[in-house]
Amino acid sequence: MTHTLLPVERVIGESGLAASADGLRLDMRLPWYRSLPLSTVRVEALSLDGAPVDLADALFELDGRRWPLAALADEIDSFWFVLDSAFLILPQLHPAPGSRHEVALTLAVFPPYIPGMKRANSQTATLAVA
Amino acid sequence: MPITTGATLYAFTNEYLTRRYSFADLLREVAARGLGPGIEVIGFQSIKTFPEVTDAFAENFRALVAELGLAPVSLGINSDRFLRPGQPVEDAHLLEYHKRQMRSAHKLGFPILRYQFSTPPAMVADLAPYAEELGLKLGLEVHAPAHAHHPLVLAYREMYAKVNSPALGWIPDFGGTASRIPPSLLEAARARGARESLITLLEEIWPGPGPSHEKAATLRAAALRDGHAPEHIQAVSLAFFILANGDPKSWAELADRTIHIHGKFYGVGADGREEAVDYETILPIFRDAGVDATIVAEWEGHAYSTRDAFAEVEKFQAMCRRILAA
Repeated sequence: MTHTLLPVERVIGESGLAASADGLRLDMRLPWYRSLPLSTVRVEALSLDGAPVDLADALFELDGRRWPLAALADEIDSFWFVLDSAFLILPQLHPAPGSRHEVALTLAVFPPYIPGMKRANSQTATLAVA
Repeated sequence: MPITTGATLYAFTNEYLTRRYSFADLLREVAARGLGPGIEVIGFQSIKTFPEVTDAFAENFRALVAELGLAPVSLGINSDRFLRPGQPVEDAHLLEYHKRQMRSAHKLGFPILRYQFSTPPAMVADLAPYAEELGLKLGLEVHAPAHAHHPLVLAYREMYAKVNSPALGWIPDFGGTASRIPPSLLEAARARGARESLITLLEEIWPGPGPSHEKAATLRAAALRDGHAPEHIQAVSLAFFILANGDPKSWAELADRTIHIHGKFYGVGADGREEAVDYETILPIFRDAGVDATIVAEWEGHAYSTRDAFAEVEKFQAMCRRILAA
């Protein structure tokens, strides 16, 4: 059964997918009610049209800064402000602008004031590449 | 001063996260609807640079609340010990992290900081002189599953008695003394597809004895055995984490050091009563004890519903004023 996601559950941002010279960009929202340090956020999985995407060379972009996903774990002083979009950049992917794709994204957060808590949120959407 | 009503911007989390209302828009809407003057803000929700606050932000904030006739009452802070998942930071780091947030509260003009159980009693004792120096008060949010004589709270009560600082107080949050699970939460679970047998299971297990996390595990095991979907189990299990059924009368023991109140609520029915929390019993305790504080409307129905939070807060405040005036 499908249902409308609560604002705190969505992980795909309003601007969706966009083509760029650096690769495909995906708008992401933080699935929590407050800002969190990047060290407590994980991009767990992405699939495009049903096929898993290798995230080994993917980049995480926020406020004009970029990190390889593996580097986020050390960013204890860089906060993802809860209203801001972050972007997942996929250098290997260059789908044609206007083409439509089913995107499934899973983000996990580990709220740093709640010992042992992990919350994973998944969202699937069909998006046109801008 | 008697108890007055106000609002925490946390109640408007859905309006905010969807970017329909900015922080300033929320303050303007709260003022326009007469839902203040007292307001609570969560630092890490509303302020991009938090735990720091820039001079420009503080100036703009002070000017805006003055223009709107609002009164900053409480700033919610967080004790982020696990900045790396599973790896606690040193106490010295965490102590400084709290001090940064205290300086930010001071800069913004909030007299009270809301802290949580994640700040251990010994650290609160160490922070008390700094709070006194800055003219701030630190209030423990006594949140579900706790209540006045929960072991978690007893540790802070003991410390408060020993330190005896005017800077230390309580912020009761009534989710720990709920009389029932809010029907609106159950409705939301049904709307997600939860079957009636899962709702029944929740209503059997929730009021029983034992810690909330154990009851949640009991429900999970039984529900999985009965073939309920994990998503539906998660939706109903929210009740264990936000609500417990402690004795509402127990709040009398914390009234003397109550400096601020969280009016935790889920919905006010056509009968003018809160769905889950017995405010008819709870509020007179604080009123009759002569508590001088703001009760900020904290609608938590946003955790499962996208109903209009402003309308919910209006109904709740009217209920509080009726009870407090009686």
